[in-house]
Amino acid sequence: MSTPMVSIEGVDKSFGHKQILFGVDLTVEAGETVCLIGPSGCGKSTLLRCVNNLEEIDGGRILVDGSLVGYREHDGKLYELRENAACAQRTRVGMVFQHFNLFPHMTALQNITFAPLRVLREDKAAAREHAHELLGQVGLADKADAYPSQLSGGQQQRVAIARALAMRPKLMLFDEPTSALDPELVGEVLAVMRGLAGSGMTMIVVTHEMGFAREVAQRVAFMDGGRIVEQGTPEAVLGNPRNERSRAFLSAVLQ
Amino acid sequence: MTRAAEETRQPVRVRRRVVPVRHYGRGALAVLAAAVVALIIYGFAGNPNIEWPVVGDYLFHADILEGLLRTLEMTALGMVFSLIGATIVALMRMSPSRVISGIAAGYIFVFRGIPLILLLVFVGNVGLFVDRITIGIPFTGLHVFSEPSSAVLTPFVASVIGLSLAGSGYMAEIVRAGLLAIGRGQRDAAKALGLNSLRTTRYVVLPQALRVIVPPMGNELISMLKATAIVSVIGGGDLLTIAQAISGANYRTIELLLVAAVWYFVVIAVLTVGQHYLERRIAER
Repeated sequence: MSTPMVSIEGVDKSFGHKQILFGVDLTVEAGETVCLIGPSGCGKSTLLRCVNNLEEIDGGRILVDGSLVGYREHDGKLYELRENAACAQRTRVGMVFQHFNLFPHMTALQNITFAPLRVLREDKAAAREHAHELLGQVGLADKADAYPSQLSGGQQQRVAIARALAMRPKLMLFDEPTSALDPELVGEVLAVMRGLAGSGMTMIVVTHEMGFAREVAQRVAFMDGGRIVEQGTPEAVLGNPRNERSRAFLSAVLQ
Repeated sequence: MTRAAEETRQPVRVRRRVVPVRHYGRGALAVLAAAVVALIIYGFAGNPNIEWPVVGDYLFHADILEGLLRTLEMTALGMVFSLIGATIVALMRMSPSRVISGIAAGYIFVFRGIPLILLLVFVGNVGLFVDRITIGIPFTGLHVFSEPSSAVLTPFVASVIGLSLAGSGYMAEIVRAGLLAIGRGQRDAAKALGLNSLRTTRYVVLPQALRVIVPPMGNELISMLKATAIVSVIGGGDLLTIAQAISGANYRTIELLLVAAVWYFVVIAVLTVGQHYLERRIAER
């Protein structure tokens, strides 16, 4: 078997005295889309942030594409990576945030070309061309020179997806990408994500969009109280949950 | 809908005259205030003891213009060094290292806490307890620069140093507030794209913080200009020093103070207009 794209092994995480994650295990194969669902505060977003080393983990380990996240293993000890090595690791992983977090002082195009130019030292013309291509892919070819404040929430989130894709990531993380959107704008963002999943991108999606999970995900993991309490195919987890907590959550969400 | 119902819905259109409330008190107060202002102006303009032609004579006097130039130089240099210092101190203040952050806090405490006049006199008199200013490796005698204090710390240099120390202490807090105004999401996004913290600060946080920082900095620039007048206590060669030196010789104290005041007003008027346009440009985006 090939190495999985992401393997999360027994991850613990606390903020101060409050433990958020309790020995979480999760494996994501290359090309797979996994949806993380569960009630607020169950640790879904924290787990996602750990995968990208935006949070340090307190126990266990996370491997992305076969290499340890945030650490170097040597003689049975884990050495924390220096900042620039940690940054280089993050370039392989794209992340999309609930509140888009576009840079408001840059146009859509500048947002997209910024990291390729500053971090990957790509050629300017090539970066611009790639950015235009990506804007076309998310359906915003005509918005290259718009500032984020001139775009709707759905458009901003699509620019944010294009920005993440500009780094040619192997893995995309979505942290509640549609939770901050007006209901009528959710569809356009989900459509872009559906296309991305269809093109073979590996994705972990924290979401409350059960329809999207059912339709696009190969696997759904239900989290509660900092643990993954149930995982499996969307039909199994969403259609016929065995765990009592997931059953209660889903009946509340799906009605 | 019945015809009768339609008719009752028709608005009744009758023109009525509107009588606004009369603010008698407000009118009386306006007259009184205007009278007071007129009296003050008359007190100056028509005062037989103030010789206005002398004010006119000295307004473009070569020495006065030279003093004005000194004042502008000090303001500009003081502002530039203050901004650089303030940015460094603000970034240090936000360092995860308690030592670095503590040193920055101490710097802000000391230079915000000392009255400017004391700071200026102190810097101007460093020569009293430090004979030579030396840049080199301590305790080895090796140095690249060593001059007597009095030769390095001319009144002008001492003035710029004093203004910069005080200014950077104040402005560091403004810069820090600007940096703190940029949400964590922006840093997260930059980090997720693989930017290190230096680049994140340089390209993502600082440009956005500037919007928050510029308006209060306009006020700081005006304060800096006025603060330069205090360097007259160490003979900084600024506008007020020169004006006082001239009046010391010709006893036209009030006239020369008015000359200086006119120039301060002119410069501040120019700066205020500039600040207005700069703020508007920043707000546009």
